[in-house]
Amino acid sequence: MSNISQASSRDTGAPLLELTDVKTHFRTRRGLVRAVDGVSLTLERGKSLGVVGESGSGKTILSRSIMGLLPTKGTERHGSIRFQGQEIGNLGRKQMRHIWGREMAMIFQDPMTSLNPLMKIGRQITEPLEIHLGMDKDNAWATAERLLQDVRIPEGARRLHQYPHELSGGMRQRVMIAIAMACGPTLLFADEPTTALDVTVQAQILDLLNDQRKERNMSLILVTHDLGVVAGHTDEIAVMYGGKLVEKAPTRVLFADMKMPYTEALMQSIPKIDDPSHTRLLAIGGRPPDLVNPPNGCRFAPRCLYARDRCLTEEPPLRATDNPEHTYACWYPVGSAEYYQAKARLAETPVAVGGLD
Amino acid sequence: MSATAELISADILLATKPPRRRRKFPSLGVVFAFIWLISLTVCTLFAAYIPFIRDYDTQIKVNGKTGRYNLGPGWTAWMGTDASSHDVFARSIHGARITLMIGVLATIMGLVLGTILGVLAGYFGGKVDRVVSIIVDCLLALPALLLALLLVYRMDDLKSVYTWLGWLDRKWEITLTLGILATAPLARIVRAQTMGLREREFVLAARSLGAKGGRVILREILPNLVPAMVTVAITGLGILIAAEGALAFLGLGVERPVTWGKMIIDGRADLKRAWWATVFPATFLFLTVVSFNMLGDRLARRFDIREAAI
Amino acid sequence: MAGTGKAHLRTEDALLRVEDLVVRFPVGRTGLFVNAVSGISLDVLKGETLGLVGESGCGKSTTGRAIMQLPRPTSGSVMFEGRELTSMTGDTMREARTRMQMIFQDPISSLNPRRKVRDIVMEPLTIWKRGTVAERNARVDQVLEEVGIDPQRAAESQPHQFSGGQCQRISIARSLVLSPSLIICDEPVSALDVSVQAQVLNLLEDLKRQYGLTLIFIAHDLAVVKNISDRVAVMYLGKICEVAKSDDLYREPAHHYTNVLLNSIPVPDPEIAVQRTAIEGEIPSPVFPPAGCRFHTRCPGMQERCQNEEPQLREINTGHFVACHYPVHGGEAPVSIRTAGS
Repeated sequence: MSNISQASSRDTGAPLLELTDVKTHFRTRRGLVRAVDGVSLTLERGKSLGVVGESGSGKTILSRSIMGLLPTKGTERHGSIRFQGQEIGNLGRKQMRHIWGREMAMIFQDPMTSLNPLMKIGRQITEPLEIHLGMDKDNAWATAERLLQDVRIPEGARRLHQYPHELSGGMRQRVMIAIAMACGPTLLFADEPTTALDVTVQAQILDLLNDQRKERNMSLILVTHDLGVVAGHTDEIAVMYGGKLVEKAPTRVLFADMKMPYTEALMQSIPKIDDPSHTRLLAIGGRPPDLVNPPNGCRFAPRCLYARDRCLTEEPPLRATDNPEHTYACWYPVGSAEYYQAKARLAETPVAVGGLD
Repeated sequence: MSATAELISADILLATKPPRRRRKFPSLGVVFAFIWLISLTVCTLFAAYIPFIRDYDTQIKVNGKTGRYNLGPGWTAWMGTDASSHDVFARSIHGARITLMIGVLATIMGLVLGTILGVLAGYFGGKVDRVVSIIVDCLLALPALLLALLLVYRMDDLKSVYTWLGWLDRKWEITLTLGILATAPLARIVRAQTMGLREREFVLAARSLGAKGGRVILREILPNLVPAMVTVAITGLGILIAAEGALAFLGLGVERPVTWGKMIIDGRADLKRAWWATVFPATFLFLTVVSFNMLGDRLARRFDIREAAI
Repeated sequence: MAGTGKAHLRTEDALLRVEDLVVRFPVGRTGLFVNAVSGISLDVLKGETLGLVGESGCGKSTTGRAIMQLPRPTSGSVMFEGRELTSMTGDTMREARTRMQMIFQDPISSLNPRRKVRDIVMEPLTIWKRGTVAERNARVDQVLEEVGIDPQRAAESQPHQFSGGQCQRISIARSLVLSPSLIICDEPVSALDVSVQAQVLNLLEDLKRQYGLTLIFIAHDLAVVKNISDRVAVMYLGKICEVAKSDDLYREPAHHYTNVLLNSIPVPDPEIAVQRTAIEGEIPSPVFPPAGCRFHTRCPGMQERCQNEEPQLREINTGHFVACHYPVHGGEAPVSIRTAGS
């Protein structure tokens, strides 16, 4: 505990979070499930990172691996997770408890199931304050009221005495954010925080998260399947596929110049509001890879329209473009000569793009 | 472990091959419960053919004489003898027959009645639901033993008026009584489950395909009720067996051939002098009830049924 | 009851024509009611796709189910293929239901977990005893192949052995075997991954053409609705706010609520996303809906008149109808509308 609080107070110049070749595997009856298979990335303090991928891409498991929230039984963890310059990948639950809440916190998809239905909102916010920060009761309740103000819940004093079921979904998610921010964490995980909410509320919550991040100089990891959600609300985006990081870039760079055909396919499969109605969508055929027996070579190759022989046998390494912040794992990226050749060939011989899973 | 399972199924298995049903080795308790119940059932059904089990009314003579509690637990009579020189072990085995039969029949009766009432109330709602709920609430509100006493005495009265009820001896009276008692909690659980299922999309889909009410209940709802019903029935069986013992304690036991409840009552007065005559049948009763509970618990966890707590 | 008007109903013969549909549910035994749908009118022409959009609680799903008469609406008329559904009972009702089908949001929950997939798809034919056994088998195989499910595997497997996208295909197959004329899709893709979502949307478009289907597509995702619909109706708190051809609606939203909805969509483009502002507040309780225009409590263009007088649907452009006193585009909206209210 003392190590960590020292670490947070000294400015080491090291990034807030540094992952090196993180692997999380689960032992199951079917064999070893390689949920996260060698992910390396860094996150600076105060920045926000969007982790995007389909279900089964390992994005949720990655965030839980960093938080140390995975059950120890049947789980294998490899690689290094450095948080504020300190290795936390091998810490047990007991040691992680000092980090949870104070240094890292998490918001989940469903605000109803992550709040205790039998406890008043106020109690749920003040509890971490009293436990982690040793505040006395009055102080904690005053802080809680201020927190509700921060997450823009009107009439905070009255709300503190309400139970979760008396609040709407959006309000509950705000309460979850207030609880997560109560002890002033330096890193906040948001796992699909808006998927269960309506569009109008979704926008409010995303704006709120972003404002609070800037105000508190907090780092944010936003895990989602929706490229639209991360586009306006993160500094950087990491795209995951089959347990691997396949592309990472600053948000604007990524959208302007995506290299990985998977990222491109993901973009194209989203119906765009500016397209006229009945525009044919470019669906990605096939299914996500089996993580027990992942394909050789590039894991996306079996579904990739531009794949060549090399893609099926040799795994592409993560490499940088001219911009060192933009990395991708593909032999024939979008924009390469081979990509255009393949595209031209596809245009000549039309194939069923909207393949089936 | 379940947390892992949840995570994996949520994030990974969906993306992989069809998940196989996960089978875990059952706990020691469940294994024991299985062995106990199966061997008890086999012994009691085939007691006549098993050499080491005496007949229930064989009296054991010591030095050519019978006598009250003339033998303690030992080699001749494993669990000693009772007040009439009967072998306690043999009688405990034989006692299981009536007890188990009453329990199983009463459970089946409760299942049939409870399912009919519960499904009707849950599926049709409205007035049907209100009537069923009132009946069930009444049954649950009265103390069960008091209700059982009333029912048994009432049946005795009816029997003396209508001669064609002659077949209704004490055994059947208790079975009917316990069956009625078992109906209420089962109906309540089935009703709750049915109401949940009725709102599920596959039931709506069946209705939108033009399926009639009966078909929807039979094809879509009942198969999904089975796990809950089996679980509750097994737990309930244990409770009913204990209840049979309790009724015997109140003097409403089955006299012949023999039941555990009767044995416990008979030996109770001489507990100090001959503990074995009471403790062994009580142990049989206890182990059986616990075994059923354990199996019910395991099934509830397997099927993830939370309402199973009666 | 003050309706939102019927100006948008067309004179041609519609496949489905809903008028003044009201659905209310009692809240326990309090004597209060949830006003899920408060007098809406709709029509769908043959071969058309009507999109119904709105936030959760706006009554869009309830509308879909009330059209199916599951449960029956509290009042109003539903004319389908020239017949009034609300007064039908018994076997006539059951028979009429086979002409329209429904696909639900949760692909797993829509299929009975204890039956084989092939039997699930076969069920409608079994209920109606259509054809011989051989004909039924042939029909089921054909439909399963059309939606991209291997009939062999379907015969052996239960729903949990398929992925979410595949389960949704199976639901679609089940709804198709009786060759209905109308399919009501209730959020059919919102539980699916984007890549799978595109597959299912494309499949629906293909099948619609192949079977000459008419679709009602209910969803909260405006981009999805725009992609698949010919005409879109925006709902808010049990009322229709705006009806228009989907391209018109998205190009020139007239109702403030439509405008807000469009502005809240997270657009996968960082250049656009940063400039937008979100609307404050949340949808009011349908037990005590606001008087006047139901959106006035959150409306950026609210005026005094909106609090008392309920706007009726009126045409502001050819085929573009809006229920708003001071619409964003068109109509007699004051120029100062943007700054006036909020």
